Amino acid sequence: MNTTGSPSESRSLLPSDKGEARLASPATSARPPTGARVLVIDDEPEIWRAVRAGLISAGFTAEWASTAAEGIDLSARWHPDVLILDLSLPDQDGLDVCRQVRTWSQVPIIVLSVRGKDEDKVTALELGADDYLTKPFSMAELLARIRVALRHAAYPSTRGDQARFETGGLVIDFERRQVTVEGRDVHLTPTEYDLLKYLAHNAGKVLTHRAILQAIWGPAYEQETSYLRVFFNQLRRKIEPDPSRPRYLLTELGIGYRLRETE
Amino acid sequence: MARHLFTSPPPPDNTPEDQPGAPRNKQAIHRVSLVRAAPPPRRHRLTSARLLFPELHLPWWSGYVAAVLGVALASGAIGLINQQVHLANISLLYLLVVLWLSTAFGRGPALLASVLAFLAYDFFFIPPIYRFTVDDPTEWVSLGVLLVTSLVIGQLTALVQKRAREARESQRQTATLYGLAQLIASATDQQSLQEALVQRILEVFAPLGVEACALWLPDSSKHPHIQATAATGSLSQAAFTLEEREQVGQARWVLAHGTPVGWTLTVNEASTTRRYTLSHLPLRCQSGVIGVLELVGTPESRRLVPQLALFGGEQQHTGKKASESDSSSRLLAACCDQVALALERATLQRQAINAEALRQSNHLKDALLGSVTHELRTPLASIEAAASSLLSPGVTWSSAEGHELLESITISARRLNRLVSNLLDLSRLEAGVAAPQPDWQYIGEVVSVVLDRLELTGQLQRHQMEMKLPEDLPLVPMDHEQMEQVFTNLLENALKYSPAGSIIRVEARVIGPPAELEVRISDQGIGIPASELKAIFDKFYRVQSARLPWARMRAPVGTGLGLAICANIIHAHGGRIWAESQEGKGSTFIFTLPIPDGGPQSDSALPTSTERAAPQTPEVITP
Repeated sequence: MNTTGSPSESRSLLPSDKGEARLASPATSARPPTGARVLVIDDEPEIWRAVRAGLISAGFTAEWASTAAEGIDLSARWHPDVLILDLSLPDQDGLDVCRQVRTWSQVPIIVLSVRGKDEDKVTALELGADDYLTKPFSMAELLARIRVALRHAAYPSTRGDQARFETGGLVIDFERRQVTVEGRDVHLTPTEYDLLKYLAHNAGKVLTHRAILQAIWGPAYEQETSYLRVFFNQLRRKIEPDPSRPRYLLTELGIGYRLRETE
Repeated sequence: MARHLFTSPPPPDNTPEDQPGAPRNKQAIHRVSLVRAAPPPRRHRLTSARLLFPELHLPWWSGYVAAVLGVALASGAIGLINQQVHLANISLLYLLVVLWLSTAFGRGPALLASVLAFLAYDFFFIPPIYRFTVDDPTEWVSLGVLLVTSLVIGQLTALVQKRAREARESQRQTATLYGLAQLIASATDQQSLQEALVQRILEVFAPLGVEACALWLPDSSKHPHIQATAATGSLSQAAFTLEEREQVGQARWVLAHGTPVGWTLTVNEASTTRRYTLSHLPLRCQSGVIGVLELVGTPESRRLVPQLALFGGEQQHTGKKASESDSSSRLLAACCDQVALALERATLQRQAINAEALRQSNHLKDALLGSVTHELRTPLASIEAAASSLLSPGVTWSSAEGHELLESITISARRLNRLVSNLLDLSRLEAGVAAPQPDWQYIGEVVSVVLDRLELTGQLQRHQMEMKLPEDLPLVPMDHEQMEQVFTNLLENALKYSPAGSIIRVEARVIGPPAELEVRISDQGIGIPASELKAIFDKFYRVQSARLPWARMRAPVGTGLGLAICANIIHAHGGRIWAESQEGKGSTFIFTLPIPDGGPQSDSALPTSTERAAPQTPEVITP
C-alpha cells in the first residue's frame, strides 16, 4: 500500500459509474479538520448516538452505517474523510470491509475492537487500517485519533520532505542525520537512526512489529519480534529521559510501536 | 489397541532354577510372536516338607504307593527287630505308618495301609508264618485290635487333617481378601488401585498356574479396554496382545452376558509347544457387570473357573481334588466380588466428588452473584441517577454541577468496565480457556502501558509513582494481556488502599538460580494484617473494611476478584505471588516469573542497516 496518495487522489479512484463519484478539488482535500466527514460503521445505535454527539460538537460531519454492506456503499458514495470501523459487524467481518475499501480508497480507517482481539487489530493494521481503539474508549481519545488520522491524510507526502521532526524535546534533523534530546546530542547507530526516522515519518501512527521489521530489516526478519523489543529497549535508553516511562517511543502491547506526535 | 497400555515393566523373575536350554526372546509362535522374559518357574518341586504335607501338587495315586511302601518298610523293620528281640506289641509300628499316611495323604491311603498292615502282620509274623491262617486264638485279638485301631486312627487323623487344611484354606482366603481390602482402602487414585488389584490377584493365584492378569473396563460406548495388567516374569505382558481382536471380543461378550469364557491358545516356541488358557471373568456388582478380569495361565489354571465354557481347546482332566479346586475357585470368585465392589465404590466416589464439586461451584456462583449484583448495581444506580438528573425537565444545572454529574457517570462506567473485565477474566481463567500465550516481553513495556492508561483516566493524580527497573532486565516469557491485567489489578489495589500523596513503588530484579524475574509493587497504605496475607488471594475475600481508617467516609470498591485473578495468572505462568505487609506502614505485593534459558538477550539476530540498505523513503509500509 502506498500512503503517499492524498485524499484527492484516492477519490479519483472511485468507480465512475457512481452518480456522486467525481474528482474532488484540491481545495476540498486540503480543508482543515473541521467539517471533515466521518463515517461510523457500527451496528450499535447507542454507540452511534454518543459518538455522533461528540463528533458534531467537535465540528465534524457524521454519517452512520449499521452494516458492512451499507458501510461500503456509503464510503463509496459519501466520500468520508475518516472511517470509524467496528470489527464485529452483523453481516460481514469488519476486516473484509477494511480490505474492500482499501482496494479503491486511501481514506484513513480507525478500527474499533474489544480487548483480547490483538490478532484482529494487527490484521486490520496490516490490511491498511491507520489506527485502532479498544472498546470501551473515551470520546476525547477518539477525537484525538481522528485528528491525527486527518492530519496524516492531509499532509502525507510533505512529511518525507521535511528537514526536521520535533516532538517534545526530541528533535531529528534529517539533513544532518542528527538527533538531539532536550538539546543534547544523541549518538545513534545507523540502524537506530533509520528506525527512528521511519517512526518519525509515521509519527502518531501505530506501526505493527512486522511492518517495522519489514521496513528496516527486510521481509526475512519480520518474525523477529523479540529482537525488536531488545532493539527498542536500547533505543529508549538513548533517547528517553526515563526509559521506564517512555515519552516518545510508545508501546502498543501485542501490536507494535508508535512515536508520540506533538499534539 | 491395548498394546500401548503395557507400560509397566514385568516384575523381576524370582525363580532360582533357570532352565539353561530355554532360548530367549526369539520364539516362533503360531500367529503372534510372544516375548518371553524368562522360562516358567517350576511349580512341582518335591521337598521334604511337601512330602510330609503335600498340599496340592502330587498325583492322586502317590498316597497309595506310599501306603504300600510304608507297610513294606514297616514289615521289614519288624522282621529285623524280631530277629533280635521278641516284642509283643511290635505291630504298633504299623500304626505309625497309618498315622503318617492319614496325615499326609488323607483317608484313602490310610485305609489301604490299615488293611495291608493287617494282612502283612498276619502273613509274616503270626504263626503259621507265610500263611493267612492263625493258630493261636489270642493272636486274633491282637490282629483285630491292630486293624480297628489303625482304621480309627486313620479316619480320625484324616478328619483332623482335613479340618486343618480347611482352616488353613479359609485363613488363606481371609488373608487374601483382607489384603485386597487393605489395598482398596489405601489406594489413592483409580489407576493405582487397578494396578494394585491385578498385581495382588496375580500374586495370589500364581501358584495355581496364573501367569498374567488384566483388568478390562468398558468405555462410555461399552467397548472394553485394558486398564491395568500384571504378569509374572515367566510370561511378559505381551500375552495380552495375543489374538488381540479375539480378546476384545471375549471381553465384550463377558461384559454383555455376565458369564465367564475361556479358550486355550497353543504357542509354538522354538523347542516346545505351550498351551495357555485365557479366561475372561465378569466383575459383577449391583448395577451389573462393570468390568472383566482376564487371567492368562497354564491349562491347569482353568480349574479356577469350574463353570468356564471353554473354547478353542479340548477338555482336560487334571485329577485335582475337587475340594481344592472348589476352595480356589471360591477364593477367585470372592476376589472378583471384591474387585467389582472396589471399582463400583471408586465410581460412586468419583460421582460423589463430581456432585460435591458441582455443589461447591453452585455455592460459588451464589456468592459471586451476591457480590457481583451489589457491585454492578452500585455504579449503574449512580449512572442512572446522574443521567436522569441531567435529563430532568425544568431543571437548569450550573456548569459545575453538570460537570460533577458527568464525572460521576464516567467514573461509574469505568468501574463497571473494570468489574466486567475482571469477571470475564476470572471465568475464562477458571474454565481453563485462557492458557497464557507467552511471548518474550520486557516487563517495563507492560508496566508503562498500564501506567499510561491509569494516567489517562486520571487515577494517578493523587499518588507518586516510583519506578526501579534496571536497564539490563532480560526479556521474560509472558502473556502480555494477562500481565497487563496483573499490573492493573495490583496498581489499582495499591492506589485504592493508600492515602493521597503517598508513594507507590514498582521494582523488578532478577533473582535465582533458577533465574526468575521478581516484581515488587509496594504502597504506603495501612497494610494488611498478617492473618489475612494469604486469604486476600482467595476469591471474594476483602480485607475487613472496618480496619480501614477512611472506611467511614467511603468504603473502597471492589469485588475481591482482582487478587484472585492475579494469582491465577501468575500460577499459570509458573510463577509465585505473595504479599508482605507491615500494618500501618504499607503492603508489598511480590510475584515472580520464571526465566527459561535461551531468551533473546541482544539484538544480534538483526543485522545492522549497513548490512542491508536502509529504506530511502518511509512510505514503503506495505500491508
